[in-house]
Amino acid sequence: MYFWKCWRDSRTHYILRLIAVFVLCLLVTIIIAKVEGLTGAKKGSAGLVLRTWSVATEGVLGICASLFTLFTALTLGASGVGEEFKERTADFLLTQPRRRRYWIWTGWSVGVCELAVMVFLAVGATFGTLTYLTGYVYTWRLLAATLPLIVGGVAVYGLTYLMTVVAGNGRQGLSYGMGILLINLLLPFAVYYYSKVNFPSVLGFMLDGCKWVTSATEAFPIGGLVVWTVIALVFPVAAQLVLERAEV
Amino acid sequence: MNDLAIWTEKLVKVYSDVRAVDGLSMNVPRGVTYGFLGRNGAGKTSTIKILLGLMRPTAGRGTVLGFSIGRDQVAILERTAFVSESKTLYGDLSPRELVRFTRGFYPKWSDQAVTKYSHLFEIPMDRPFSNLSQGNRTKVYLMLALSQGADLLVLDEPTMGLDPLVVDEFLRVLVEDVVGEGHTVFVSSHQLADVEQIADCVGLIDHGRLLLEARLDDIKSQFRLITAAGNALPQTQSAEILLVASEGSFCKYLVRKDADAFAAELSRQGATIAEVSPLGLREIFLELVRKEEACTSGNVGGIAGPITSCV
Repeated sequence: MYFWKCWRDSRTHYILRLIAVFVLCLLVTIIIAKVEGLTGAKKGSAGLVLRTWSVATEGVLGICASLFTLFTALTLGASGVGEEFKERTADFLLTQPRRRRYWIWTGWSVGVCELAVMVFLAVGATFGTLTYLTGYVYTWRLLAATLPLIVGGVAVYGLTYLMTVVAGNGRQGLSYGMGILLINLLLPFAVYYYSKVNFPSVLGFMLDGCKWVTSATEAFPIGGLVVWTVIALVFPVAAQLVLERAEV
Repeated sequence: MNDLAIWTEKLVKVYSDVRAVDGLSMNVPRGVTYGFLGRNGAGKTSTIKILLGLMRPTAGRGTVLGFSIGRDQVAILERTAFVSESKTLYGDLSPRELVRFTRGFYPKWSDQAVTKYSHLFEIPMDRPFSNLSQGNRTKVYLMLALSQGADLLVLDEPTMGLDPLVVDEFLRVLVEDVVGEGHTVFVSSHQLADVEQIADCVGLIDHGRLLLEARLDDIKSQFRLITAAGNALPQTQSAEILLVASEGSFCKYLVRKDADAFAAELSRQGATIAEVSPLGLREIFLELVRKEEACTSGNVGGIAGPITSCV
């Protein structure tokens, strides 16, 4: 019911984005492979293959797919249940016989599913292209790298979702979410510049997961995964608390 | 309380500096049509929102169908259909899709009712809601509410935007299909003529307070407006005398019952009785809500406490 409605509301833009992310990852991976010297042949030295995988996973997944996921997360969050207040449909929705937490978690789940599918598609496009071009497979490491991408995306999605509930308005929720995300992206540079301390950013965390795919020295960001998972779950819980106290 | 569809006690809702609902105590029996009347901003919609859990009361308590407001919200909503004042639904969903969305929430949902009312109200089922006229939007809302198999129907300005033919059809449906099946209708409206057609009981609210709660039959058969002239006329309100107010050099008394005996008493005190007239819903609404001055200085005109005689 509500799951179907949320999916129906978002599906047109979402499917277009899926196509866009697929094409983007495919094209950028091919370009990187060509720039690195793999001109379509399924062969090359081990060093060349590793370097191509490394550049492609960092460039395509770590940057292109991550930014695309973050952008999608922001916009999906802004179309969450909080938007019902602006659209003046909240009195209809909230008089359906369900606890308010149902609306929060059902709506949130739709976005999480959509983000997860998008990440798998991006990783799949990159993985398939690289495997085809290099004849080499980094299967399980690549699968593990999807986790930071999904968790990072879900955290930002949850942030906008919460902000939309707080503001009772998708556009304002998007603005607040973008503002906070921008601060999170820029603050680490400022903190590092002044104190040489690494301040965590969501994009940095997503990039770390992608770097790890081909790196022999990088550790999988398990600590970051735990922290960002907790953050990703705190936002819908906060949204639930806000909605349960909201008056229409 | 359990034999009441709606019961509230000293319900209060305060928005910053406005008391939208001010100590509202209301008794709506089961199986009746209850007209909830009042001016714009009288507190009708706030009261409805509190009953349905869209707002929390600042103070007071109440039950809907025996379930406590706030605590048993899902149980209340499972048994209550609501038509909101705004009549806003999802613009890109068609009525058919709105049915698909809504039906799963209600255990007693009736697809037969959807078919019946969509034909009766001539609803274009496949056109997006945003492309429907205001009248058709209201019809869709009504169809969804009537198909829920609810024990209580809460309608906030339900006939707004409907043409007279559909209003007539809708009122007939309320009487035959809803109240006729033993369910309760709680209708908030400005359309006094519509309410008068179908209501068994009315509650009249102003400034968040219930001025009157009475059976419509009692209003028609017993309520009288007595217009009198004279010196030192009684100014005291009571459970029987709802209103004492001036009209030119006359004094008006809105009497709940035994109007003839009261008029005789006034005559004995030297007053001249100009008129004893029966009241319709419109007249009683205007008399009670209208701001009027006291008959003589030093006395307070206005109304007595609410009468709760619907039960």
